Amino acid sequence: MKRFRSSANGQPGWLFPFVIAAIMVLSVLPLGRLAATGIVSAFSGGGRGVLTDPGLWQPVYNTVATSFFGMIAAVLLGGGFALLLTLFDIRHKRLLGFLFMLPTMIPPQVTALSWISMMGPSSTVLKAIGMAPPLGSPQPLYSISGIAFLFGVQNAALVFLSLRAGLLALPRDAVEAARLAGASSFQVLKDIILPLSLPGFAAGAAIAFVSCVGNFGIPAILGIPASIYTLPTLIYAKFAAFDAGTFADISVLSALIGILSVLGLLVESRVLRGRDYRVIGLSGQIAVFRLGRWRVCAEVLLWLTIIVILVLPLTALVASSLAPAYGVPLTPASATLHAYQEILFRQAVTQTAFVNSIGLSMTTAIGLLLVSVLMGYFLVRGGSRYAGLISALADIPYALPGVVLAVAFILLFAAPLPVVGISIYGTIWIILLAYLSSFLAVSLKPVTSAFRQVDSSLEEAARLAGAGFFRRMTDIMVPLVAPAAGASVILVFLIACNELTVSALLWSAGTQTLGVAIYNLDDSGSFNLASALSVLVVIMVIAMMLLLEAMAKRLPKGVVPWHS
Amino acid sequence: MRNRLAAFTAVAALGLAVGAAQAADLVLYTSQPNEDAQATVDGFKAANPGVDVQWVRDGTPQIMAKLNAEIAAGNPAADVLLIADTVTLERMKQAGQLMAYKSPEAANFDATLYDADGYYYSTKLITTGIMYNTQASMKPQSWKDLAKPEAKGLVTMPSPLASGAALIHAQTLASVPGLGWDFYRLLKANGAIAAGGNGAVLKSVASGEKAYGVVVDYMPIREKAKGAPIEFVFPEEGVSAVTEPAAILASTKHVEAAKKFIDYVLSDKGQEGFLKLGYIPARNGMGVPAGFPSRDKIKLLPIQAPEALKNSGSDVKTFSDIFASKG
Repeated sequence: MKRFRSSANGQPGWLFPFVIAAIMVLSVLPLGRLAATGIVSAFSGGGRGVLTDPGLWQPVYNTVATSFFGMIAAVLLGGGFALLLTLFDIRHKRLLGFLFMLPTMIPPQVTALSWISMMGPSSTVLKAIGMAPPLGSPQPLYSISGIAFLFGVQNAALVFLSLRAGLLALPRDAVEAARLAGASSFQVLKDIILPLSLPGFAAGAAIAFVSCVGNFGIPAILGIPASIYTLPTLIYAKFAAFDAGTFADISVLSALIGILSVLGLLVESRVLRGRDYRVIGLSGQIAVFRLGRWRVCAEVLLWLTIIVILVLPLTALVASSLAPAYGVPLTPASATLHAYQEILFRQAVTQTAFVNSIGLSMTTAIGLLLVSVLMGYFLVRGGSRYAGLISALADIPYALPGVVLAVAFILLFAAPLPVVGISIYGTIWIILLAYLSSFLAVSLKPVTSAFRQVDSSLEEAARLAGAGFFRRMTDIMVPLVAPAAGASVILVFLIACNELTVSALLWSAGTQTLGVAIYNLDDSGSFNLASALSVLVVIMVIAMMLLLEAMAKRLPKGVVPWHS
Repeated sequence: MRNRLAAFTAVAALGLAVGAAQAADLVLYTSQPNEDAQATVDGFKAANPGVDVQWVRDGTPQIMAKLNAEIAAGNPAADVLLIADTVTLERMKQAGQLMAYKSPEAANFDATLYDADGYYYSTKLITTGIMYNTQASMKPQSWKDLAKPEAKGLVTMPSPLASGAALIHAQTLASVPGLGWDFYRLLKANGAIAAGGNGAVLKSVASGEKAYGVVVDYMPIREKAKGAPIEFVFPEEGVSAVTEPAAILASTKHVEAAKKFIDYVLSDKGQEGFLKLGYIPARNGMGVPAGFPSRDKIKLLPIQAPEALKNSGSDVKTFSDIFASKG
């Protein structure tokens, strides 16, 4: 019956099974396995040990505190930028927006390393201007507030994007009507724009909170030296002291992270409950407000922020990569390229890491492209009643913190695969599968939205003319969604290349990724090597973002995240 | 159609390339810092052309955890180990996880430096002493100086949870009369912290976040030579030592390459390489690196190996309880 309906629809019979198989492997099986272990250990009392351990509640408190204050910082930073850049006549908006996005795209452990090199008694930058704190001053970033602040810097762009999308969709006629009625700019801002942008604020804040809860790179580098553990670093530490009860413990801890994330999202929907934010009328870019003589002040403020959150830390990172040894003041005479020589030409591990990260990211991006073109087609054109469920299942792994996903894959694949009897745990394939699962949503979104824009009559015409499924895909559908698909490849590549959390738990001999290599170099005391590798990764990130920027004009709206 | 084929080919080729990166002739798990591990592997490859070596570095406790997780999953990746201390390897020997191999190079080593059955061989001597930042007000001479008021809040040390040498060090000092666990309680009361590995201690003292650190000898001596503002002292009571032994895993699939690796790290050439990196070699008749006193001047504190083996778990717990984390 199904087969008949499918063929009447012009879809090959294997499409539905393919989509189901993909969603099973990438979402249902790993998450189901995690849930099963969590529930079993909760009932058998295995998890009780973890839950009653007083050592657990401190990390829970740390996680909530750092994420909450990180969210506040992200809202202040990102909200301020979004309001100023969207509503007012600031110059160089594109450039400011692009630069503001960078801290989010840079891997969190690189952000943490660069801020460490900027602050504290060892700061090459502060030493150069003679303002380094005295001997014995604690590194101010090794604290709850330090972690929260960097969470804010890292996630500010999420609030920025969410709020900006909301601001751009404001009803133009409401603003114009108010203006005609004689309202001042301030009144329009206070009574119309800010209330209507609340959903954007709330959504951005919720995303930022969830992203902070799952962040591993920043608390790993800032928290572990000061014995401040958050749930993701606690899972890592438990895993690094592996014993018989570890699997049960970490599945319970993962569940806690999941619960915290869901709580964050629930609070958001509660904030918005009982209010109806549907707007009527034309939406679109509203006329910008003139700042007059305040414009220079606002611009100075924006550029100063960019300098503090981006330029200074990166300068400090470059400075520490050039220093001959830790604690040596950097002068033109003492500067050395030794660290770059070492990581580029001697260290096999960084070469392995480059090959692995780039190989994994490309394979993930291209593999997901195949999956998401077929799945996107199925979701848009398939007319299946399961479409909603499938797209929700595809979203969950991306929304979950990377640590939770990694634990799910460890649980699923720790034992040898049935039938073939080989284990993929400790091989590169488990990382690849986890990446495919984690970034499916990133790849699927642009492709699905591109399919929605294609008029179905084109494909109908081809089908009437006798073109088969593959013919229609390759000659009509794929060329039409190609720009969006290309962007999704670059986005997945960019995110996968910078990834640390998933691979931190899954790597083994020969399967180190760039994120793991940076973290491990720092851990072994080779701070200058870690900095040099970080500098190279930042350069790679900027190059990829510039490529996307160059493609932006030819892409559907919303594919390049920082473009309107 | 052509596009699709091209895409499939690309995926398959990448998959193969990524898969090929897995196949090595020998996998080494080591706790040496990255640069040293690479130098050791480079030296081995120069002496044994054609053997492809892959290595993983992490602190001894972490690397053991990784290995145990892999053994539990039935897929241990490592062939050879080069980690901090013999106590850990003695435990593995008793658990039947190591392979015995009588290396011909053993004749050049003191009999106390290797296992009589050939399960593991010490490669070097790494002592743990005190480093200080040259801006520090006091030049520590004794372990007890770290508990003085001048050092209040300025002392850092590695955690036995992250460093094999740190565990042996704590177990050694704990059995010294006049020091013992009470000494660690005094340190804690004096605001000392214990977190991370030796690399973290080096960083913290070199950067001036802390003034004094308990740390393995070669790191500060080497960094001082590069211009870092630090000094290393061998305290008057004596220093603890680990011997960074090498061993072959019983599950190895590369027996011949693994034996060659053991022979290499014990050979003249391999030991020469460690010397050049700034380690005291274990082999008879070798010198000491620049910046070290001669070997007979270094006073080693004794460690009770059987007790250390038996009490590892409880000693880690004692240590952790003293330095229990605070928010």
